[in-house]
Amino acid sequence: MNDPQKLCDVNFFRPRKGYMTGEVAIIAAVLVGWAVANFGFQGVLALLAQSPDGEGILTRLTFLSFPWHFWFTGQFLPLWFIILCVLFNIYIDRHTEQHSRRRDRSHD
Amino acid sequence: MTDANLVPLLIVTAALATFIITGLRARAREAGDYGFGGRYIGRIGGGAAIASNWMSAASFLGMGGLLYLQGYYALAYVIGWTGGYVLLLVLMAGQIRRFGKYTAPDFVGDRYASPGARLISAAISITISVIYCTAQFKGIGMLFGWLFATDYRTGVILGATVAVGYVILSGMLGVARNQQLQYTLLIVSFILPLMALAHKLGYFWVLPQFGYGVAIQDLKREFGINFAAPFASAGLFQWVALCFTLMVGTAGLPHVLSRFYVVPNIRDARWSLVWGLFFIALIYWSAPAYAVFARLLEARSGMAPPPVAAGKMADIIVIKTAVMGGLPSWMIGILAAGAMSAAFFTVAGLLITGAASLSHDIYYRLINPRASEGSKMALAKGAVVVLAAIVLAIALNPPGLIAEITAVAFALAGNTIFPAFLLGIWWSRANRHGVIAGMLTGVLITFSTPLFGGLVPAVAKVFPLTSSALIGAPLVIGVMIVVSLLTPPPPEAVRRFLAEQVHGHMD
Repeated sequence: MNDPQKLCDVNFFRPRKGYMTGEVAIIAAVLVGWAVANFGFQGVLALLAQSPDGEGILTRLTFLSFPWHFWFTGQFLPLWFIILCVLFNIYIDRHTEQHSRRRDRSHD
Repeated sequence: MTDANLVPLLIVTAALATFIITGLRARAREAGDYGFGGRYIGRIGGGAAIASNWMSAASFLGMGGLLYLQGYYALAYVIGWTGGYVLLLVLMAGQIRRFGKYTAPDFVGDRYASPGARLISAAISITISVIYCTAQFKGIGMLFGWLFATDYRTGVILGATVAVGYVILSGMLGVARNQQLQYTLLIVSFILPLMALAHKLGYFWVLPQFGYGVAIQDLKREFGINFAAPFASAGLFQWVALCFTLMVGTAGLPHVLSRFYVVPNIRDARWSLVWGLFFIALIYWSAPAYAVFARLLEARSGMAPPPVAAGKMADIIVIKTAVMGGLPSWMIGILAAGAMSAAFFTVAGLLITGAASLSHDIYYRLINPRASEGSKMALAKGAVVVLAAIVLAIALNPPGLIAEITAVAFALAGNTIFPAFLLGIWWSRANRHGVIAGMLTGVLITFSTPLFGGLVPAVAKVFPLTSSALIGAPLVIGVMIVVSLLTPPPPEAVRRFLAEQVHGHMD
């Protein structure tokens, strides 16, 4: 633990004990939500396609008068990104508070 | 010029003059209060500044144009340019701020302790500015061509002259940018005509960005135009590749990264970004509506243009839609003023950043460290004109649509700056050899299609010019890791700073 070489090590996949461990966990959770909702949905859309141009069950359903897939990609995903950012900030704020030596928010 | 365009021209002129006058008044009132980019105006104000800094001709004109041409495929731009902010927030915002370097070359130069890496990243930043600016010049050229009823070439020469004159005049007068005012103009000028169009066409107009679903269905039912077909224009790989490229490009664009220093603390910087993303989304939710209404108006009038003609006017389709919809000329003028402001302010930001990089990162840091402030400033002023001339030369024969040209800048940022920042922040073993090899690989990958695509067709499929970072960015990261591991680690002082100041600040 006192090895100076190791004390200088920073690696996302081997976070240092303490603040960075929790920070990386929050980041990983947000990134999973970011990737699955976006790229995962496009994959599902391709899997369910019944014609070369991608028509399928998700394009026939409607929501708020939009073809469902169009609503999801064009309207929900930007909203989802905002939600992810809000959740990230809430959890990081909380995490920072917990690790702050001082509780007067002067840490950052 | 026609009478119909006189009112829009007057409104555009008045809007730009207003920004100069308010900027001068703000400077007189608040001289001395300015930090990096203006006084602190809270999280919401910071968000408006982020959104205003982001909005360009690509957002205002280009996105609508591509949606008009390619339907669902172009939603990759909407998603790429919003989803990239998630990457930026969670992976970089706090850390680069704690690192404390304002520009991409400064960060790369200091983190990797390498003048060579600084030089390469400065050259890349300048190239990004030039490409990005080319797209803005195309938008400005088309707007001027429309306002003065001239051809594109005359429009772009005239427009570029006025834009560069505006940048120089603003600089000479010391005009302060009021980004909240800019964002207000942008959002009002984009949404108000859309509300009017939705109202005229008989759709839900109160929130037009959420009420155009029926129009998509009408297009399909009445005219057989399937605007929403997911893979009609391109397949899954192309969609994902484009979207991913725009996302990592957003998180690697130099002028976006430097925004985090405007706000006094990290917590406010993070929350400002969320507001910024919301303000950006307000416009991005709306852009597809313009494209759908354009298709509908054309179909109803029975004058849908052939593909080549549609491609030529796509970049100004947002304005044409307002004209086709019969909106009053003052409202079209407001829309044009918003588009012109977005392009002008982006040009100003990019030219000044590019020139500063040339003067500071290359001339002062590498060529003549004893240069006086005066000679640095003179060089920067000259560089603005030279960069603008280069951009104009390219923009005279634009290589693509506005959003496509912009996407190449994103691909370059995503293949070079993004990996350099990502590993620079999250892996202390990354060293100068790794980053230099990685950035050079990234440059090669970005331009591999025009360079080798003719000889090896597979290259164009794997690394499409606008979408090369899906395979490119992971490849560059791989190169950086391998080369770093094969060469000595970076100096201990850098690694200690990273461990203690950037990541260990709470321990």
